[in-house]
Amino acid sequence: MSLSRLVFLLTILAIGLPTAAWADLAPPPPGKAPPRATGPEPTTAPPPTADELLAAVDRNLTFPSRTSRTRMTVVGSGRTREYEMTGFGRGEEDAAVEYLAPAREKGTRMLKLGAELWIYMPSVDRVQKISGHMLRQGMMGSDVSYEDMMTSRELRKQYRSKVLGDGVVEGRACWRLEMVATNNAVTYPKREVCIDKDHFIPLEQKLYALSGMLLKVWTMSDVRSYDGGRKFPHRMVIRDQLRKGSETRIDTVELKFGVALPAEVFSLRWLERK
Amino acid sequence: MNRPHLRSLVVLGRLAGRNLRRNPTRTGLTMGMVTVGVALLVIGQSWIDGMMGEMLRTATDAAGHVRLVDPGYARREALAPLDKNLRDVQELANRLRKVSGVVEVVPRITTGVTVSTGEEIGDLFAQVIGAPESYLRVRLGLSQRLVAGRWLGTAADDLVMGAKVAEQAGARVGDEVLLLGVTQDGAMSPLKGRLVGIVKGPSASVDQQIFLPLERVQWLTDMPGGATELLVYGAAYQDGVRLAEQLRRDPVSKGLDVSAWSDREPWISMTRTVDAERMILLLIVGFLTAIGIWNTVVTSVLERTHEIGVLRALGLSAAGAVALFVIESLAVGLVGGVCGALLGAWPAWLLQEHGIHLGAGVADKVSMPMAETVYGLLSVEILVTAFLLGLVITLLGSFIPALRAARILPVVAMRSGR
Repeated sequence: MSLSRLVFLLTILAIGLPTAAWADLAPPPPGKAPPRATGPEPTTAPPPTADELLAAVDRNLTFPSRTSRTRMTVVGSGRTREYEMTGFGRGEEDAAVEYLAPAREKGTRMLKLGAELWIYMPSVDRVQKISGHMLRQGMMGSDVSYEDMMTSRELRKQYRSKVLGDGVVEGRACWRLEMVATNNAVTYPKREVCIDKDHFIPLEQKLYALSGMLLKVWTMSDVRSYDGGRKFPHRMVIRDQLRKGSETRIDTVELKFGVALPAEVFSLRWLERK
Repeated sequence: MNRPHLRSLVVLGRLAGRNLRRNPTRTGLTMGMVTVGVALLVIGQSWIDGMMGEMLRTATDAAGHVRLVDPGYARREALAPLDKNLRDVQELANRLRKVSGVVEVVPRITTGVTVSTGEEIGDLFAQVIGAPESYLRVRLGLSQRLVAGRWLGTAADDLVMGAKVAEQAGARVGDEVLLLGVTQDGAMSPLKGRLVGIVKGPSASVDQQIFLPLERVQWLTDMPGGATELLVYGAAYQDGVRLAEQLRRDPVSKGLDVSAWSDREPWISMTRTVDAERMILLLIVGFLTAIGIWNTVVTSVLERTHEIGVLRALGLSAAGAVALFVIESLAVGLVGGVCGALLGAWPAWLLQEHGIHLGAGVADKVSMPMAETVYGLLSVEILVTAFLLGLVITLLGSFIPALRAARILPVVAMRSGR
């Protein structure tokens, strides 16, 4: 090899190596995204604020009225139970549920008005009132509490939040948020949430106690579209972290928003009707 | 024993007898101390054995001589986890009944409920016991403890309630009672019943319980065919440990937690307490008796220093000097022990026959099953044990002064002139 050829090769190497290294760090040219091993593409747009995200979530998950038919599967340490129920929701605090199955629970009705809840038990033809901390007990021994199931409060009003960054839950890109309750009366004083970037549904929520103990992990999936651009998850899975091996799945069979609700539903008379 | 030794013992025995007769007052006092000590041991022991025996018999009738549960239930017993239950207990009970030594098998469910009698569901908590009617009637003896109403009949909604729960709930015989419990999965579960009888138990805990046939509590807890515990009975509660061992080896109890009553709380603590009580009684009586004996034997040694010096000069060995006093004490212990056993047997027998009436006030405050009248228990074992303990205490009390006698130098003793 001649000397001039050797100098030429060394010059090429000297220029080429730093350029190659720089190429790894530099942003890709327009229209050409870098390949990723897994997961969706990152968003290049500036992240929305926490407030914007929660407003979008609240638009999806809160409603003036709705009716639903759901199937709840409770997987316990010993056995699995299935419940079927119809539900009525009015605003953030009022809800009514009637159990259709299994036979043991058929006819059981629950009515929540504000912070109070009544349960009608057909086997003894009696109404039991529940309030206070009892609302946080597992409904029918599930991982989801009466309050979780029968309340649809706007998150934005209850929490001070900040966006932590990007995340991925079951292959879907989401925004990770940390939410801290504005007062201690909130059931879950802290949440870590990952909000779907397209649907604005909390794909995964980690719900914490005031002590910092993780209480529940709540996931939402099978998101479907409704009138007015509303998105709603048809499957929720809740795992109470204090109950080993326990899991509750709530599958929505039918769901209607903005329907006119029968007036008698939100009255104690409805509970005891034959 | 060779002939010279035997002869020496006979001589020492005669000397001891002479010494005992020489000061009858002192001998009588020493014997009196042993007598009183042994008598106190007999009375105390028979009182403790009687009281504890009755408590244990009643308590193990309720709790089973041996208990079989799911290991998860045993680990979190304080929470009575309903989800850790035994399925198809009837089949399991039938297999257990075939095991040698097993007399009876009882499935049982214990759970918490709120009780209310009016329209409003209250916040009065009580414990529900669901078991076969025969267990409630015979093992718990509840049909004999009715203070109002009747025993469980054939009506499906009959229930019997402890006196305290009934009082707190304001429930009267004939009232409809609503129990609000939970299923094994933790779901709210109501049960309606008719109060047919009110019982006052042998312990405060019975007064705070509600008693229902097993099937009804199986429904309440949504445990069809199941139970949280299987109580196994042998011929007597003392058989518990042996029966538990046998059941652990038997394939029928594979995967289950098997425990004798004495392996579980509160019995472990209770047995420890009783042992401690026995030890305290023994130490107090033994110490006082031994001090008394030591005192009189020391006095005797001091009085007889000159005499012992002469005997030592005539050839009595140091061991012989010790033996002289020990033989004296042995004689005192034997006579005092027999007298004490006889003296203690009389009040112990009275305790056994008539008992001591403690009253409902005391029994109500004890969580363990305890009758209002507590009886003693007199046995040959107690008499023999007390007699032997009296003998040992007497020998211990005399041994140190006897060693002092052995150390007396003949020359010094004879010069002392005493």
